[in-house]
Amino acid sequence: MNFLRGVMGGQSAGPQHTEAETIQKLCDRVASSTLLDDRRNAVRALKSLSKKYRLEVGIQAMEHLIHVLQTDRSDSEIIGYALDTLYNIISNDEEEELEENSTRQSEDLGSQFTEIFIKQQENVTLLLSLLEEFDFHVRWPSVKLLTSLLKQLGPQVQQIILVSPMGVSRLMDLLADSREVIRNDGVLLLQALTRSNGAIQKIVAFENAFERLLDIITEEGSSDGGIVVEDCLILLQNLLKNNNSNQNFFKEGSYIQRMKPWFEVGDENSGWSAQKVTNLHLMLQLVRVLVSPTNPPGATSSCQKAMFQCGLLQQLCTILMATGVPADILTETINTVSEVIRGCQVNQDYFASVNAPSNPPRPAIVVLLMSMVNERQPFVLRCAVLYCFQCFLYKNQKGQGEIVSTLLPSTIDATGSSVSAGQLLCGGLFSTDSLSNWCAAVALAHALQENATQKEQLLRVQLATSIGNPPVSLLQQCTNILAQGSKIQTRVGLLILLCTWLSNCPIAVTHFLHNTANVPFLTGQIAENLGEEEQLVQGLCALLLGISIYFNDNSLETYLKEKLKQLIEKRIGKENFIEKLGFISKHELYSRASQKPQPNFPSPEYMIFDHEFTKLVKELEGVITKAIYKSSEEDKKEEEVKKTLEQHDNIVTHYKNMIREQDLQLEELKHQVSTLKCQNEQLQTAVTQQASQIQQQKDQYNLLKVQRGKDSQPQGLPSDGAQVNGIQPEEMSRLREEIEELKSNQERLQSQLAEKDSLIENLTKSVPVPGESEAGAAAGVAEVEGRLSVLLQETRELQNEIKVLSAERTALKEQLDSSNSTIAILQNEKDKLELEITDSKKEQDDLLVLLADQDQKILSLKKKLKDLGHPIEEEDELESGDQDEEDDENEDGGKDQGLSI
Amino acid sequence: MTYAYLFKYIIIGDTGVGKSCLLLQFTDKRFQPVHDLTIGVEFGARMVNIDGKQIKLQIWDTAGQESFRSITRSYYRGAAGALLVYDITRRETFNHLTSWLEDARQHSSSNMVIMLIGNKSDLESRRDVKREEGEAFAREHGLIFMETSAKTACNVEEAFINTAKEIYRKIQQGLFDVHNEANGIKIGPQQSIATSAGPGACPRNSRDTGSDSGCC
Repeated sequence: MNFLRGVMGGQSAGPQHTEAETIQKLCDRVASSTLLDDRRNAVRALKSLSKKYRLEVGIQAMEHLIHVLQTDRSDSEIIGYALDTLYNIISNDEEEELEENSTRQSEDLGSQFTEIFIKQQENVTLLLSLLEEFDFHVRWPSVKLLTSLLKQLGPQVQQIILVSPMGVSRLMDLLADSREVIRNDGVLLLQALTRSNGAIQKIVAFENAFERLLDIITEEGSSDGGIVVEDCLILLQNLLKNNNSNQNFFKEGSYIQRMKPWFEVGDENSGWSAQKVTNLHLMLQLVRVLVSPTNPPGATSSCQKAMFQCGLLQQLCTILMATGVPADILTETINTVSEVIRGCQVNQDYFASVNAPSNPPRPAIVVLLMSMVNERQPFVLRCAVLYCFQCFLYKNQKGQGEIVSTLLPSTIDATGSSVSAGQLLCGGLFSTDSLSNWCAAVALAHALQENATQKEQLLRVQLATSIGNPPVSLLQQCTNILAQGSKIQTRVGLLILLCTWLSNCPIAVTHFLHNTANVPFLTGQIAENLGEEEQLVQGLCALLLGISIYFNDNSLETYLKEKLKQLIEKRIGKENFIEKLGFISKHELYSRASQKPQPNFPSPEYMIFDHEFTKLVKELEGVITKAIYKSSEEDKKEEEVKKTLEQHDNIVTHYKNMIREQDLQLEELKHQVSTLKCQNEQLQTAVTQQASQIQQQKDQYNLLKVQRGKDSQPQGLPSDGAQVNGIQPEEMSRLREEIEELKSNQERLQSQLAEKDSLIENLTKSVPVPGESEAGAAAGVAEVEGRLSVLLQETRELQNEIKVLSAERTALKEQLDSSNSTIAILQNEKDKLELEITDSKKEQDDLLVLLADQDQKILSLKKKLKDLGHPIEEEDELESGDQDEEDDENEDGGKDQGLSI
Repeated sequence: MTYAYLFKYIIIGDTGVGKSCLLLQFTDKRFQPVHDLTIGVEFGARMVNIDGKQIKLQIWDTAGQESFRSITRSYYRGAAGALLVYDITRRETFNHLTSWLEDARQHSSSNMVIMLIGNKSDLESRRDVKREEGEAFAREHGLIFMETSAKTACNVEEAFINTAKEIYRKIQQGLFDVHNEANGIKIGPQQSIATSAGPGACPRNSRDTGSDSGCC
């Protein structure tokens, strides 16, 4: 408090000494008196002094007053006085009639006392608890005091209330108070409470504020209601502005639907009071808060849809076309309709279909445009119409096409009985009113925004000038007027139109350059050293020239990119050109226009920039600067890069197409595969069926064969022979071996025999020569004879053996012969059998063919039967019948074979 | 757009347990793996059908951070239902349930239906709180219990709808004063005839309890 004294030091000497003393005395009494009556009287006295001696009472009594609030809660009267006194100290409201100087001081006083009061957070909590008191003398001043605190130091007090338990909720209960004064002041309190505090706004909304406030507005008679309606609307705006969560809640709670009846103000209305105008104005603003272009796109579009669905937009359009509506309301209604339709195709389409109730009916758009190019209409109204038109065309290619088409030769109404939008715009473009020129130029620019088709279409527009002269193209006429040097606003408007038209449209650039007067005019404008007021035009000319370079497709020999750049370098100088280009975004009105889509100008001379155009400048300034600084080589390189890129692109697109085709093929093939698989499965089942049938038949055949084999066994046939056949080779080889052995045996014996013969011969030779002794010789002879007889015996034995062996051999030979003959026989038989088998195989094949035929037949028969609608059971019977037949045939075949053998 | 009843819900629980994701899954049927920290509260709404009646759910998703507790407390009083959410992969979020519950009981109307939700049931491998523990806690404190996954949408729909069913049952029993909007319940625009259903349900209910007592 010391600093307060310091600040107020000069003045504190002013008030009479006695007053300060009195206040001191009263404070002492409040503090020390034990009697409630005494204290109450003292507080009442302080209250009466508090307005006049605000500073003194504030400094000396505040502590005591707060103490009273804490301790004397049982007595509502003293609490009421204390609250009133505090209110007088803190509030600045009562002093408005005082002179300016002291008002400023008192504002300081109020905020300083507030700061002292809320330094103790409990004081605010105390106030909140006093609000629970139902007594009027307590509740009402509490509301007022709290409101005043919030007005003085909003953020701090909001924070304290936010953290005190149920603080906000308790304040919300004020809206339910049956005493209107408290309810209405409660609305004001909530206004101050919710100001720019999202968290509190959400809690208040959660506590059903929308429902309550809408109820109050309805009870009070909507727009016909008094200032309470106004206060409620301001509070609603506080809750919704820039608060997405609350906007969503408002929409989800179907409260938009409840706004519709507000705008049911018919022609029969009894007049427009100032309060009604204010109320309606706020109502329209509330609609705009919900569909503001600055909201998230999804949120805005869902509100726009809801407004169309519940008929709110239709209601607004009715006001738009009604008579007797004050210009202020009409303007705001136009702005509101603008934002309700902006970028929302359904709403834009609806708006295009609205007709004014004139005779003959004219489209609302035409009626509005008439006001835009009418000098006698209020400036704000004309701005609103321009905004409406812009919003109608925003992201609306259909609407853009419709507007441009009213200018094209083929669609112009020859009779001229009704005015079209295009005619009005052209009229505005070339009227003598520069504001109309600007508005019409910008409006037309919006019909071309991001729409290459319409940029090209507009090139076709021809204007009839004076009689006898050939028609002039719209583009030509624009540049002509530009060259004539009219007002800055007109030229700026035309340059905005031309820049928008030429950007991203090489054909328009070519058309523009085709007029040989244009480039010299632009270079002249840029190069000249003109006054400050011409700087903007110079900048825009530089932008237009830059666009003619950047979007130049080099189709004009005289104005190739390169040539234009050389021209700039020679006539203007690169640096100079860039500096002039920079004038646009450095203009003081530029940033203002870039903030919001709505054209919002304090007066006509500020009408220079358009929001969408500032976006275009932002986009192009950099690229044009780059393009100008780039050398021709770099340019060429870039060109090459572009070309290669294009080639790459082509290749890529080629491959993309290929991939697409292949994808298609793949799809087809997949399909085929699946069908084939299906067929395959079917066929496989058929094959297995048939295989099983074949197996059956084979079995049957084998069976038959076996049977037949049994029949033929008595005739001494094949199975035995086959057995002999099988054993024979083994035995033969064994026999052959034996024979071989015997042969070698025989040879060995014969050689032995020959040896013995020669020995005998030798011996007989040696006998006639008895050499040395006859006795020895006789003995020797006897010995030899003995040996000889032995040998002879041996030889005989051997010869016997040979005989036996050769007998054996002949027997074996015989055996061999006989077995060879059996082999021949068996071979014969085998051949026969093989023949038989081939025969039967053939027969079987025939049977299979027959079977297939029959299958086919069965199928066709089935089909026929199905066609005829016969039951399917018969099919089975038929099939089994077929089987029987086949069996019969087989048996027949078997018999035939049997016979043939 | 018309509805028989409107219920206000709040979603509470520690930060990062997936409250906003549950709401997003319920209202938009999508999952956002990276969700900004909720500041204060966010609003969402959806219509559901219970017993053939259209019921509009208005849901306030609160910030879990401690610094927002004072703000979020303001939402207890006016809510008919609360989803108390913890994260089954973080035990501490389960441990804090008691303090959340105390807060809720202290600031809300006594009839507020509380649904305990163990979220992130898709992260079974990282589970830190057993389902049985959640069930036990719910039983002990008289809550409804469910495990959900905002990511796979498992049980999300059910959690919101079962809470609504419970509130609806309480209305049928006459436990809620449907005419006092401070309870977080509102009767639909052209539902004024149906208001008699509340009191109408009352006697039936009392009769039921009467027969019960007779039985005993």
